[in-house]
Amino acid sequence: MATPEEQGSPAHLLESLGRGATRFVDAFGFGAHLFFESFYWFVMGRRVGQRVRSAPIFSQMMVIGVNAIPIVSMLSVAIGVTLSMQGINSLEQFGAQHQVIFMVALSVTREFGPLITGILVAGRSGSALAARISTMVISQEIDALKVMGINPVRYIVVPSLVGMMIVLPSLTLWSIGVSLAGSALYVAPRIGTTVGAYLTQVNASIDVDDLAHGLTKSLIFAVLITIVSVIDGISVKGGAEGVGRVTTSAVVHGISAIVLTDMIFVFMTTG
Amino acid sequence: MTQAQRLQQPVIEVDNLVTHYGERRILNDVSLTIQQGEIMVIMGGSGSGKSTLLRHLMALERATSGSIRLLGRELSGLSQQELYKLCRKIGVSFQGGALFSSMTVIENIILPLREHTELDRMTMEVMARMKLQVVDLAPFENLMPSQLSGGMIKRAAIARAIIMDPALLFFDEPSAGLDPVVSSALDELILELRDAMQMTIVVVTHELDSAFKIADRITVLDKGEILTVGTVDEVRNSSNERIQNLLNRRFEAEELNPDEYLRRLMGQV
Repeated sequence: MATPEEQGSPAHLLESLGRGATRFVDAFGFGAHLFFESFYWFVMGRRVGQRVRSAPIFSQMMVIGVNAIPIVSMLSVAIGVTLSMQGINSLEQFGAQHQVIFMVALSVTREFGPLITGILVAGRSGSALAARISTMVISQEIDALKVMGINPVRYIVVPSLVGMMIVLPSLTLWSIGVSLAGSALYVAPRIGTTVGAYLTQVNASIDVDDLAHGLTKSLIFAVLITIVSVIDGISVKGGAEGVGRVTTSAVVHGISAIVLTDMIFVFMTTG
Repeated sequence: MTQAQRLQQPVIEVDNLVTHYGERRILNDVSLTIQQGEIMVIMGGSGSGKSTLLRHLMALERATSGSIRLLGRELSGLSQQELYKLCRKIGVSFQGGALFSSMTVIENIILPLREHTELDRMTMEVMARMKLQVVDLAPFENLMPSQLSGGMIKRAAIARAIIMDPALLFFDEPSAGLDPVVSSALDELILELRDAMQMTIVVVTHELDSAFKIADRITVLDKGEILTVGTVDEVRNSSNERIQNLLNRRFEAEELNPDEYLRRLMGQV
């Protein structure tokens, strides 16, 4: 244990760095294990008497997806309009304001749609999942599941993971659509064209690869949000205060994981 | 079944169990046999290791060494699937009830049936209501756990623990946080369950009155070691000073080694 005079010394910093790195590798390994275990239960559950039920999956889809539609729509329209305003403002200097459609269509489909939806869902549902799991750990509900012969990963993690993996790409698709519609309503009068012509131009600007790029990312974000929230949730220590702490860290870790993975994904697919 | 016949069939056999929490040794060479139909009370002060022993008996922790046999099966040799199957024959009433807060009382009780059987909903509800009747909670099936009192939560947890008609029932501190009247009613319920369903019951508690009332035999744990295993009278009349201290609620001052005390003060332990 470090004594006070060692705090801040190079040795102490190195030790903290080492411990941090070990914790990260530990969490990463555990996350991968959790993901594959969830996959195992989803595929094999029925055969080994640990069936994954559809009702909790639908209920998760409802909570994560359908209930998030209003806020996702609102933010997506705002992003679409903001991008359009910035785009027209910059491109006007070159007399190329018509190119704004191309710019908005590509950036919304490939980047902003998946990212904004991912961040929103991490904040809304990732934190809720971490809070739920940490409360269950503290009140021994996880232990109760185990002694009832019910695998907690199969019972709690799989429905959330599957629900998230279905809903997040769907929400992302919705977000892209709404964002482009918002942009069309703003841009069409500004550059003297119609909404119909705008949408035709959007259709010509993006292809299936761009959409696949965005939706693949949202699928990865879905896994990240769920796994990060579960890991944070079960690491809870202490009582109600601990629940608050892991809920906050689930949001911070979830959003960080999304943004960093986004960068790595874009680097690997475009570099 | 006579008492003698019961005693021939061990339901739990613990041999030389050693467990650690991090570097700290919690249980030291614990050996224990619990017979079928017996109510065994595991008693001890705070930090004696009784809750740890219970967690190991419920297969929630891994031991450092030693073996635990439940209903004739060695826990360490079981695959996950076999362990889950074995769990269906075990019921547990946790200290805080551990009811699922998002489900009503009856949903909580039905859960093991829903997950492990193919029964139709109506049958499951009838079975759950029968167990609710046993624990005297029949009118409250549609309440949420947050709407129940402490004693009702414990009784609902017992109803959930016995829904699969287990052969073995664990209670973790059944009297904790309850007033003496409710606590005494719970003791009666534990006795009734054993007599009516022939269950083997293990109760972890630090409540002496409750222990003496329900126990067939008592295991006294102290600092991770078994001090004695015996009937209520044997424990009461034990000449062991540590047992008498526990029974008479006498605080046992920790003997400190001066060097160790100094190291602890310096934060080096």
